[in-house]
Amino acid sequence: MAAQQRGVSHSNLEEITIGQMSASSEDEGPEEVAFDASKTVALKSMKDALESVKRGKEQLKEKRRKRQLFFQKQKEKRLPQTLLEELETVPQKQPKPSDEKDEEDTEKKAEVKKPARVSKSLQGNCSVMWVKDRSTAYSLQQSAMDFVHARLYGPGTQRTTNAQVLSLERKRGLNQGAAVQFVNKKLGAEQKAKAERTNKRFIRKQKLIPS
Amino acid sequence: SDSGTVGDVCNLSPAVLGLSRRCRLKGNSSVMWTERVERERCLPKLNQTRPDQTRPHQTRLYQTRPDQTVPDQTRPDRTRLYQSRPEQTRPDRTRLFLTSPLLSSCEGKKTFVKTRGAFVYFRVAGPQRGARGRSTRAVRVGIVRHTGTRSSRMGEFTVHRVRFFHYMPSAVRALAFQPQRQKIAVARTDGSLEILNRADHLFQEKVIPGREQRGTEALAWAGQRLFSAGLNGELVEYDMQELREKYRLDASGGPVWTLTCNPQGTRLAVGCEDGTVKLFEVCDDGIQFERNLAKQKGRILSLSWHPSGSRLVAGMAGVIWVFDAGTGQSVHRLLVERGTGAPRSKECVVWSVVCLSDGTIVSGDSSGNVKVWDGDTGTLIRNHQVTKWDVLALSVSQDETSLVAGTSEGTVVQFQHLSVVLGREDKEWVQTRTFKNHTHDVRAVLELDTAVVSGGMDTQLVVRPLLDKIDVKTSASALRKIHFPHRRLVSCSRTARLLLFQHRIHLELWRLGESEGTGVPGSSLPIKRKPEKLLHLKTKVSKLPKVVSSANQICFSSDSSYLFTASTCSSVHVLALSQSGCTFVCTLKPKSCSGQAILLLTASDDGKWLAAANADHEVQVYNLQKRKAYCTVPVYSSGVTAMSINPATNNLFMVHADQQIFEFSLEQKQYTDWSRLVHRKGLHPQWLERDTPVTNVTFSPRNPAHVILHDMYMFCIIDQTLCSVVVRVVYNCLSSHERSSQPLPERNSQLVNQLTLRSLPEKERRAHSHAFKICKTFKHKSWILCPALLGPDGVLVPAVVVKLFSLLQELLFVELLEDQSLVVIERPLLDITAQLPPPVRQKKFAT
Repeated sequence: MAAQQRGVSHSNLEEITIGQMSASSEDEGPEEVAFDASKTVALKSMKDALESVKRGKEQLKEKRRKRQLFFQKQKEKRLPQTLLEELETVPQKQPKPSDEKDEEDTEKKAEVKKPARVSKSLQGNCSVMWVKDRSTAYSLQQSAMDFVHARLYGPGTQRTTNAQVLSLERKRGLNQGAAVQFVNKKLGAEQKAKAERTNKRFIRKQKLIPS
Repeated sequence: SDSGTVGDVCNLSPAVLGLSRRCRLKGNSSVMWTERVERERCLPKLNQTRPDQTRPHQTRLYQTRPDQTVPDQTRPDRTRLYQSRPEQTRPDRTRLFLTSPLLSSCEGKKTFVKTRGAFVYFRVAGPQRGARGRSTRAVRVGIVRHTGTRSSRMGEFTVHRVRFFHYMPSAVRALAFQPQRQKIAVARTDGSLEILNRADHLFQEKVIPGREQRGTEALAWAGQRLFSAGLNGELVEYDMQELREKYRLDASGGPVWTLTCNPQGTRLAVGCEDGTVKLFEVCDDGIQFERNLAKQKGRILSLSWHPSGSRLVAGMAGVIWVFDAGTGQSVHRLLVERGTGAPRSKECVVWSVVCLSDGTIVSGDSSGNVKVWDGDTGTLIRNHQVTKWDVLALSVSQDETSLVAGTSEGTVVQFQHLSVVLGREDKEWVQTRTFKNHTHDVRAVLELDTAVVSGGMDTQLVVRPLLDKIDVKTSASALRKIHFPHRRLVSCSRTARLLLFQHRIHLELWRLGESEGTGVPGSSLPIKRKPEKLLHLKTKVSKLPKVVSSANQICFSSDSSYLFTASTCSSVHVLALSQSGCTFVCTLKPKSCSGQAILLLTASDDGKWLAAANADHEVQVYNLQKRKAYCTVPVYSSGVTAMSINPATNNLFMVHADQQIFEFSLEQKQYTDWSRLVHRKGLHPQWLERDTPVTNVTFSPRNPAHVILHDMYMFCIIDQTLCSVVVRVVYNCLSSHERSSQPLPERNSQLVNQLTLRSLPEKERRAHSHAFKICKTFKHKSWILCPALLGPDGVLVPAVVVKLFSLLQELLFVELLEDQSLVVIERPLLDITAQLPPPVRQKKFAT
């Protein structure tokens, strides 16, 4: 409210100054503005502001509702009825093996029936089964090996290639010679392939062979 | 069980009848018998007109004289080569060949063909003769044939230089030393374990195969017992007599990073991934879990016991903990700060930690520092920046005066406990020496008071002597590098011309190539049939009796009718082989059983004798006709590295780890005269100083008096007839063999004298030659002799003298076939190095 009051007073001042200006220029008295009129104007502006806030809130609400609806629709799309049914059947199967011996016969029957019921999500005569108990030990070992590898050969470890080191030795050592990739033909395979490619490109660029 | 891998032990029947008669062995798990044959032609056919495109390894032709232009019409098939590779592009190579004395004497008519990194020399017959087209086809097996003008008797032979055995050793991960018996245990990344005997010239006595999945990280001796731990979270104890795992135990703390035994040998400390240090008590029949120390956050990467056994120091990422072994509570927490310039996200990992008896703690970390801490106050005393990369391993000597650190750079840095000011009592750890013997990361070091043993990613084991601790310099105190295993990885069928290669987890069967026609000495022959890969075995099909479900060694009788397998308690099982399968016949048991595993088996050609050498240096001889133990060869102090029974005389020829040679007559049950003579005179010092053991002994099929031996760097032909003549001379008897009166090499004479002999006039040669004909590689700009056999005047018939890196590389196997052709299987170390994991990048000045 204080801000509004200030605003009102500011507008009055403006009017006053304008009036002064006009008075000074045209020697006329300031235009008279009734108190009621200014009050109604101020009240209207207040109302407008309140309404706009209300409208914004409603819009937001609408938006949220729509979003929720969209999500619900999406969920329904994701989970088809058949799959939900399948999921419902799963918890019924699980407790069966833990049953006592009395129900062995019924279990056997159920087991006989099992292969007949093939999951619809899998094509053909396929079934999903637990191949091997990949226990946590294996994943732990993998992560341990990754740790060592990352520490010794990972990024920031400043490693080079064997070929470069061997070539440096041959460049500086007692028996100097050509770089290893030229001596050992296995090593130079990459460079050679690259050279071949660049050669071809060069030939194409220079149009040495008229096509 | 399926604990072994394919091809831990393998052997090839000497007379393989087709492919069906073949037997393989799964080390320590099962003997296999397979009849399924898969043919696999892995080599592409050679296209004569376009060698560049059809062959993976190009044949390049170099002309020795660049000014001499060859008219194209005479060699239509080779113009392509010349066009693609003009002479000007390789001036250095041309110069190299021109400066060779051999070439200058040949007036520029020689040409070189480069095959797979080797230079095989051959003679160009000239455009008018038309024989040139053939000679360009020198391929994978460079075949050199000698038709010496002087010798028609035995100078002519072919050499198969086999380079298709791509043997790859695996990296050394951990080392442990047993001071009482002087045994060094080496754990490799493929899960195998090797026991070296330091007292016996570092001979690789025992090999226990393993699986790569085990991910062995640490080794520890507890008295005489050996334990290992790996990233699969299991502790394993090994059976040293039967060479296999005794039992395995899950430490139940995730992957195990480190394992140490307290100095008393009663407790094992295990550092696990989940941050616990577990103590195990070593009992008589196994190990038993005792307690957990206070659990920490993060993985325990290194552990060390205080020599009194009361404290335990554990290295982790960014921190070192000191535990009280009695209460299990932590006493100190030492913070290890990351080095300058290291990224924030990477903590400094303490790879190795050592606790000394005065409470000092030494740590090696991933920022390249070796830090010395005061264990009582927990303060840092000194910091040595050793490398820019990681310090991966630490080891302290028994008397705690010297400490070595292995780094990622491939260096081993020595620190010594010295007083900095002369005459003062207070001592400090001072960095003294740096050894650079490795090209790749050093993952394990051992300080053995007089030597430093180090091993790492470059798969070699280096024993570096500390010369200040050695009083007398002997061959035993020289620098040694162990590259290849001290046993045969190849077995060769002499008549069927097949080669069986033993890889880490598979076997390969190859047929040797063939050639036709004859050429001038030193020329490479045209290939009629290329070497062929017949079989690549990975799986096992077992159809054998249950008795031979495990074996340490196998051997065939010469007529392929029997198979001998070395079993537990030094006994040997005999199996009869037929086309349908094999049946168990009997078990041969030694008279006195030491219980050690058999390391070598050999059967005589006439099917009468079988000799078995075990890890206790004992050699048992069995009579195969009576099927019982016959005699025992007198025990020598050094282990047998190779042995064979002479087909003509039935003498057992043995070579020991200390390079001594013995010949034992089986019929007379005593050493032969030749053997006695050799030992009376003593072997040449140069012979004894060789540092690689002889791994194979064979006899020349035409003349069994010629014994062919080889080690990693040379092969040698010992002419026994020459020495036997000398025996008569010594005993003042008359000899009818005038032509061969050459003695054993004198002590002060040259041992490897084949080159000297060549330079002498023919009349003087006889006076200077001796019974040891050695063909060797020389390092660095020296000349070598092409493999050749003895000429009539006792000199190796030299094929050609070429620069080193071309011919004889590091040898894995040498065998003489029935048709007098020599199979030389080479494995250049350069090829192995090229396949290793990447080394660190070091800035070298002016490169």
